[in-house]
Amino acid sequence: MAAFEILEHPADIGFRAFGATLPELFANAATAMLSIACDLEKVAPKAEYPIAATGSDYESLLVNWLSEVLYWFDGKRIALREFRVTRLEPDRIRALARGEPRNAGRHRSKLIVKAVTWHQLKIAQTPGGWAAEVYLDI
Amino acid sequence: MPAEIHVEALDTLRYRIPRDERRGMRTDVVVYASPALMDHIRKDLSLEQAMNVATLPGIAGPSLAMPDIHQGYGFPIGGVAAMDASDGVVSPGGVGFDINCGVRLVRTTLSAADVRPKLRELINQIFRDVPCGAGGSGFIKIGPRELEQVLVKGAGWMVENGYGEERDTRFAEAGGALEGADPTAVSARAKERGTPQLGTLGSGNHFLEVQYVEEIHDEAAARAFGLSAAQVVVLIHSGSRGLGHQVCTDYVAEMNKVMPRYGISLPDRQLACCPIRAPEGQAYLGAMCAAANFAWANRQGILHFLRGAFRRIFGDSARLDLIYDVCHNIAKRERYEVEGRKRDLLVHRKGATRAFPAGHREIPAGYRHVGQPVFVPGSMGTASWVLAGAEGAMQETFGSVCHGAGRLMSRTAVRKGRDARLETKKLEEAGILVRSETRDGILEELPEAYKNVDEVIEVVHNAGLARKVARLRPIGVIKG
Repeated sequence: MAAFEILEHPADIGFRAFGATLPELFANAATAMLSIACDLEKVAPKAEYPIAATGSDYESLLVNWLSEVLYWFDGKRIALREFRVTRLEPDRIRALARGEPRNAGRHRSKLIVKAVTWHQLKIAQTPGGWAAEVYLDI
Repeated sequence: MPAEIHVEALDTLRYRIPRDERRGMRTDVVVYASPALMDHIRKDLSLEQAMNVATLPGIAGPSLAMPDIHQGYGFPIGGVAAMDASDGVVSPGGVGFDINCGVRLVRTTLSAADVRPKLRELINQIFRDVPCGAGGSGFIKIGPRELEQVLVKGAGWMVENGYGEERDTRFAEAGGALEGADPTAVSARAKERGTPQLGTLGSGNHFLEVQYVEEIHDEAAARAFGLSAAQVVVLIHSGSRGLGHQVCTDYVAEMNKVMPRYGISLPDRQLACCPIRAPEGQAYLGAMCAAANFAWANRQGILHFLRGAFRRIFGDSARLDLIYDVCHNIAKRERYEVEGRKRDLLVHRKGATRAFPAGHREIPAGYRHVGQPVFVPGSMGTASWVLAGAEGAMQETFGSVCHGAGRLMSRTAVRKGRDARLETKKLEEAGILVRSETRDGILEELPEAYKNVDEVIEVVHNAGLARKVARLRPIGVIKG
């Protein structure tokens, strides 16, 4: 099963992420978002960073988790490529992400992702596990 | 696919979706469009989104859609919604993630014939001097104390610190700084994201275009704005960068949390809002003003670097003067007559430009007799427009008009079967040099992805919302 696929939107861009389990779904969603922002193959998983978020249900948790990952990328300037979710409950997530500080030469941006939106946000159970749809503001 | 929506044609420029079309709508939706544009508009979810906006508590007058409307998230892009200042709501999504995304137009003392022979040199120089910020940061280094000042003083701080000329702040909406900015309402993360990005263009649909005046439609207004045929001008389209994006992210999350407390339930969580008078509403407005001021400072920084690039290529004889600076993602306190009664309103403009008519006291003295300058960028490689605000906007659209051409094709659709190098060459053959920092920037913003900007302008001109002043043609484009 592919980890994610890209979805169309008239002005912006989205993705559909998959996971056999919910922790895998949340990890793949983060990878999907960052793959839109930069070329993940150029990111070396040199260091490990702990990332956490809270929410009031799985939907708000997903938006807040992805917003947190985007903050690490755009605010703390860390390029991340591998996510391992260590704890997931409907109101909190903890994960370890591997990556390295952003380097303007090696990590050329594909698109600058402004934010994670609630537009048509979906998390659903599928025969193979879980799927989520998220749209990003570009 | 969008659901079938019953739309009434009021005339050949105005359409209405009556409030009884769907339960929960508190007011009508009014769309400004030609029959041809209406066919495009019906293809995405923008009408659905304009109807959702009509459900917001305290909305005054109709939920408005400009002819460049297209599907956004929560609010449509190209929408205007006025909320009653005492019992209405404020919605961060109704302003957008890019708070005070806007456009400034700069006139030069050069003609197209002066610039053409050195165009490649000029575009390369601008590309070096005006960072897009895709790599992470720009050239302006400020610390936390300077940032606080930027958030309060906007473009004025930049001018005080050597990034511009005194007159620059007089020729911007609100003088390049909104009152009421509250830096303490801006999160540490928003400040962290924004600080290194001051003076950078960004990516997506942001750009800097070297253009020339192709046609003058209103001599008196063109003269007032200092525009003449064949003159070279530069259009800068950028916003509040990561700082504004994070402010919106923070407050959408906050409002989703507190909405139940205020008894608000909505058809789309991206519309998250709260009463203007609530502490969370006031905090958002303080943060929004701060982010708006950051955006004006950002565009001011870009102008400063642009001046340097022109000086390096053309020497000191080339002068660059700011004509005006307008924002198209903002919420502002303004007063309008609604159903015969003067009311204080919070006008949300999401992809819409303020367009005050002649005589309005907020227009700089030199322009007051012709109306506020409005800039409408078209797609890369087609045309942009200079308009002047007209009386119709005050009567019908809370002093607002369109902000662009409006997208027609998705980013993925326009990329299909196209090659960035080939498309760059095609534009070059058409007389337009393009440089882009991000790999996919050029393809996703190709002219084919947008509606025809001339059709959009025709609607607002004929509806009496704004008058055509000049049509501008690009010759060089810097893309984020």
